[in-house]
Formats: sequence, C-alpha cells, structure tokens
Amino acid sequence: MKRRALLLSAGALAATGRMARAAEDVVIGVVYPLTGNGAAVGLDAKAAYEVAVDIVNGTHAPIPMLMGQGGGLAKLGGAKIKLVFADSQNDPQKARAEAERLITQEKAVAILGSYTSATGATISQVTERYEVPYLAADNSSPSLHQRGLKWFFRTSPHDEMFTQGMFDFFRDIGAKTGRKAKTVALFYEDSIFGSDSSNVQRKLAQAAGMEVVADIKYRAASPSLSTEAQKLKSANADVILPSSYTSDAILIMKSMNDIGYKPKAMMAQAAGFQESAFLAGAGALAEGVMSRSSFALDATKSRPAITPVNTLYKAHNNKDMNDNTSREITALLTLADAINRAGSAKPEAIRQALVATDVPGDQTIMPWKGIKFDASGQNTLGTPVMQQVSGGIYRTVWPFELAVMEANWLV
Amino acid sequence: MDNAILRRRKREVLGGVIVLAALALLPLPIKDVYTQNLIIITVLFAGLAQAWNILGGYCGQISLGHALYFGVGGYVSTLLYLKAGLPPSLGLFAAFGVSGLLALPVGWPCFRLSGHYYAIATVVVGEIGYLLFLNWDFVGGATGVFIPFHGESWAQLQFKTAKLPYHYLVLAFAAATWLTAFLLEGSRWGFAWRAVKDDVTAARSLGVNIFSSKMAAAALSGGFTGMGGAIYAQYVGYIDPDSVLAGHFSILIALPAVLGGVSTLWGPLIGAAVLMPASELSRSYLGGSGRGVDLMLYGGLIVIVALARPQGLVSLFGRKDDHARIA
Repeated sequence: MKRRALLLSAGALAATGRMARAAEDVVIGVVYPLTGNGAAVGLDAKAAYEVAVDIVNGTHAPIPMLMGQGGGLAKLGGAKIKLVFADSQNDPQKARAEAERLITQEKAVAILGSYTSATGATISQVTERYEVPYLAADNSSPSLHQRGLKWFFRTSPHDEMFTQGMFDFFRDIGAKTGRKAKTVALFYEDSIFGSDSSNVQRKLAQAAGMEVVADIKYRAASPSLSTEAQKLKSANADVILPSSYTSDAILIMKSMNDIGYKPKAMMAQAAGFQESAFLAGAGALAEGVMSRSSFALDATKSRPAITPVNTLYKAHNNKDMNDNTSREITALLTLADAINRAGSAKPEAIRQALVATDVPGDQTIMPWKGIKFDASGQNTLGTPVMQQVSGGIYRTVWPFELAVMEANWLV
Repeated sequence: MDNAILRRRKREVLGGVIVLAALALLPLPIKDVYTQNLIIITVLFAGLAQAWNILGGYCGQISLGHALYFGVGGYVSTLLYLKAGLPPSLGLFAAFGVSGLLALPVGWPCFRLSGHYYAIATVVVGEIGYLLFLNWDFVGGATGVFIPFHGESWAQLQFKTAKLPYHYLVLAFAAATWLTAFLLEGSRWGFAWRAVKDDVTAARSLGVNIFSSKMAAAALSGGFTGMGGAIYAQYVGYIDPDSVLAGHFSILIALPAVLGGVSTLWGPLIGAAVLMPASELSRSYLGGSGRGVDLMLYGGLIVIVALARPQGLVSLFGRKDDHARIA
C-alpha cells in the first residue's frame, strides 16, 4: 500500500514535471545523403529544413502561409521543433539504419526524407514497423505510395502526376492555339529515373492519342550523343521529351545544334534541365526549352509567401529556392502543422492529424492546388507547373491562371 | 600432417568455438537497436569477407566482382519469394546454388587470365551483371524490388523490430563460411593452392593441376556470397541494382579480408570488426555535419592499417602467415 502511494505520488510528480516543461522539444528525424553521391542535394535540403524550422520556431513578422506565424507549436504550449539530421550516404541499408537510430535513440516522433526513392523505400519500411509517420518530401517514384503503408505520407507529386501535367499542358495549349502536338520523341537515360519517366510517358502518349516516333535510351553521362541527335532530327517529332541529368542535357542541346536541328518543342522531366548549370552551359540554345516543375519561384502574385521565404532561404544558403528545396520546406511545414493540430507529439496522434490535413494551395509556397492525402498517403492536390526558358530563366506558362507569360508554342 | 599442425588446427577449432559462443552471447545485454544493427552488419560482412577469402585469399584469385554473386543471391531469394512463394529461409539455399553455379562460367574463361588481368576481368563481369539487372524489367529494373512485410516469421525471415533472429542468422552464416575455410585450409586443395601461390612453375612441374579446384573454390565463394546477399535483401527489405550489384559492393566485400589479413581464418572477422563500426559510427555521429569528416577518418584508418600492418590486422595477434606454418 505504501509502495503504491509512493508510486502514485511519483507519477503525479512526473506529470506535473511534464506540465511544467510543457514546451518540451518535438524531435523530427531528417534522413538525407549528406556525404558522397547526392551530398549537394542533401546539403541544400538541410539548409531548407533549417530555414523552415526557424520559421516555425522563431519570432518574426507573420508570413502569409501555413505555420508562418512563428513562435513554436501553439497547441503544445509553444513547443519548439528540433531537427536531428542523419546521413544516408544515399545507401538504402544505411538510410534504414539511420531511421531506426533516429526513432529509437533520438526519440524522433516523425521522419522526413530522403531525396532518392531507394532510400525512401527502406526508411518507410522502418517507420511502418515502428509506427512513426514518414513524410516523403521529395521521393518521386510512383511505386512508393502503392505499397499499402499506413504510416507513409507524401506531400510531393510523384512522377506520374508530373508527366500527366505535361500531357494536360499539351491538350490545353493545343486547344488554345489550335496547334495540337501529334507526335512525341522519348529521350531518356538508362537509370531508374529515365526508365520510370519514359514508361509513364509512353503510356500517357498512347492515352492522349499521340504517336511515339522515336524511343531513344542512352547511356547516362555519355561522351557523345551525336547519333542520338541524328535520330531525333530524322524523327522530327512535334515534342521531344527528354529525361536527363545536367551534363547530358547540355550535350544533347549542343549535339542537335551541331547538325543544324532546332526542335519544335522540348518538354523536359525537370532534373538536369532545371539546373542553373544547364541554363549557363546551353546558353542561347536553352531558349524555348520547357520543363515541368513542382515549384514556381515567379508565382509570387498568387503565392505571397514565396518572397519572404525565399529571402530567408537565400540569406541562409546563398541561392534561390528550387524544385527540391521548396518541397522540403513545404513538407516540414505540413508536418509541423499536423503536430500542432494533433496537440500532441504522439506518433499516432500525428498520423491522424496528417490524414485529416486539408491545406489550400495559397497557404503554401507551392503552385499546387493544395495538400490533402488519399488513403495511400499520397497528396492528390500536388499539381505541377510547366515552365519555359525565356531570357535565360524559367518562367511559368501553365496552368494558365498561374502563368507569368504566354507559352512560345511553335508546334 | 604432423603433430604440430594437428595441434594448431585443434587450437583453431577451440578458438572458433569460443568466438562463436561469445558472439552468440554478445547481443543479449544490448538493448538499443542501433548497436544490434551494427553487430549484425559486422558479422554479415565478416561472413561475406570470409566467402571472398576462399577464392581471393586461399586460392589467390583476386576477385573485384563479388557484388555480382551478392546481388544475384539477393534477387534469387527475393524473386522466388515474391513470384513463386518460396519462403526466403529456403531461398537462401537457392541463392547459394544459383550464385555458386554462376561463379563457374565466370571462372571458366577468367581463370585463364592471371594476376591483374583476372582482377580486371571480374570488375567487367560484375559491371555487366549490374547493367543487365538495371535494364531487365522482370526483376524490377532500376526501380528495384520491395519485400512486403507479412508479420513475424522464421520461414519468411521477417521480424517486425526484433534484431536477435537476424543476429543468429548472420552468425550461422558467418560460422558456415569460417568452417568451410577451415576445412579447405587443411585439405589437399588448400596445399595445392598454397603451392601454386608460392611458385606456379614449380608447382606445375610437380604435377599440381589446380584448375578444377579453382572452379570449386569459385563456386563455394560465389555460393556463400549469394547466400549473404539473400540474407541482406531480407534484412533490408528492399533491393535495387544500385544497392546490391554496384561495383562498390565488391570492394566492401573484399576490404575486411584484405585489411584483416588474406588467407587467414581470422582476418575477415577482425577486418570487419574494425571496418564496419568505424564506417557506421563515424557516419552516424560525424556524418550529420555534411562535411565528409567521417569518410576522411574511415579512409585514413585504412591507409594507416595498410602502411603499419601490410599483412593485415591479424598479424597484431602474433600469428605468422598460416600457410607458412602449415607448409
């Protein structure tokens, strides 16, 4: 009896202790490649998360978006979010071990990650087993959300949604200008990225009644792409759909130029074509090239939060936000909002709050319709934008209501 | 064999039993999964390095393409499970068989090459395997293969968060490779290999023909590596060409044996016991800074060991080269 009373009072003490320290930090684990292959992207991601967590925790002028008021998690007594970063070295086994460590040792109540889809695959298996939410900020492989996982959420659009956006754009611009694209040429590198991208493009081209007149797979980082350029020239499709990283993207533009071929239209699966190194390397040849993007830095009119957030990010990392970093910031804000709404740092409460997420697009920095997860954890409102290079920078041309200029459509 | 050799081999067996018992007890007091994971990876790589050692050490055929057997083993057990319903606990043996058989046609032409040429040929063969799987849709291509979780089961080698079962699985695997190496060391083949490594011409003039035993060593080495790959796939729950077939895996498999001491019974284990914790701990506690300090330390450690102990870490324990003793 005495012992029980003692236990009870100890429990009460602990409870009041907890209440007194109500603003206990909420730990979120973040897994990215911070060294080795992929480190450049991972380090940018780290900077993006640091900016986002400062927005949530810090005191500053309110930013007109989700969790933009600052001052910590209001419903948890102003608790601060604490990020613990872990290095996956872009290896699925290491990503798995790090996620496990973050959950069991660092007591992370949710995990954010992870750039490549292979690492996202193993992290989400760990979070499923430990019953902790995993929020995929930028993993884009469609296979990830199709595994029936209960603890998997993805704010980012996946590759099929991106490609669907391209074909929606072709339809809309065709209807608008009266010049419909009838043929496409696929040009893609021999990697998970290239093969996934081209598979969806092939499928959607068929669904849209467009003929695939060239289907060209090439060895990534080839020393020469002149044969491929020749094939593209002889096919002369209405639209070329390249899926390439930076060096190949520059090389194919130069190779086509060398044989005097100027494609009617090019619509890239982002990646290398979205890099500033591509715009610098291809120079004038890049003019008119289009690319899908999940972010539109120029959509400041309809997304007023972009300017203040970008100012903070630039001050921290000395560059503008891009496709990846904007999605990472959005993922963290979405997660912080869910924890705040849950009013609890318990994983199950956070999961339920994530399920109930319904954020309109103008409350984010993204050009999306919004954030709302379906039963598989995929955000169904993450609609991409199409951009075109004009005057050396990408400008948004679709959806028309977000466009900052008319598309230069030469089909 | 004279008495000295028999006594030495008895001591090795006794040592093996003690180490096995110690490793079996090691995880019992450890509660945190991170350390458990570290031990599992270390023991797994000790086994893989010993498998490599059979061919690369004892038989003297330096292979830099073992990722091929590792990856193929992982794919065999995983695909047999997902497409044919064969439980991975049996799939391990299928992986052993397929990877072992695969090592034969790889060895057949490559063994006619010697020294550096053989090593380069294995790199090329490994790369071919990687590209094949990358572009082969039936095996998931570049997307890789997910292994869905169906609840705790020894037959399927799936455990929700428990690490102990995997620990005993990798321990059994590593023990099997050790025992194989031990038996080979004392066998006629073992003597023949040592003779050939010492002087090819002299061995040939005495009528030692080791081509067939080289093939057997390749099959055993490839088979065990494939089995390790199958365990790894089941442990990680996801495989793609980049994570099991890429060239750096061949190095990871060979490195513990090279660092610990090639053609020795204990070199692979010692090498793995130093390398894996160094790599994992430095990444976890220094990698988060994103400055690559962890990789510098890891690389530095390898350089220091290579300079200070060119015969491998095993020489720290005062053992001379095993074959020098036996021969």
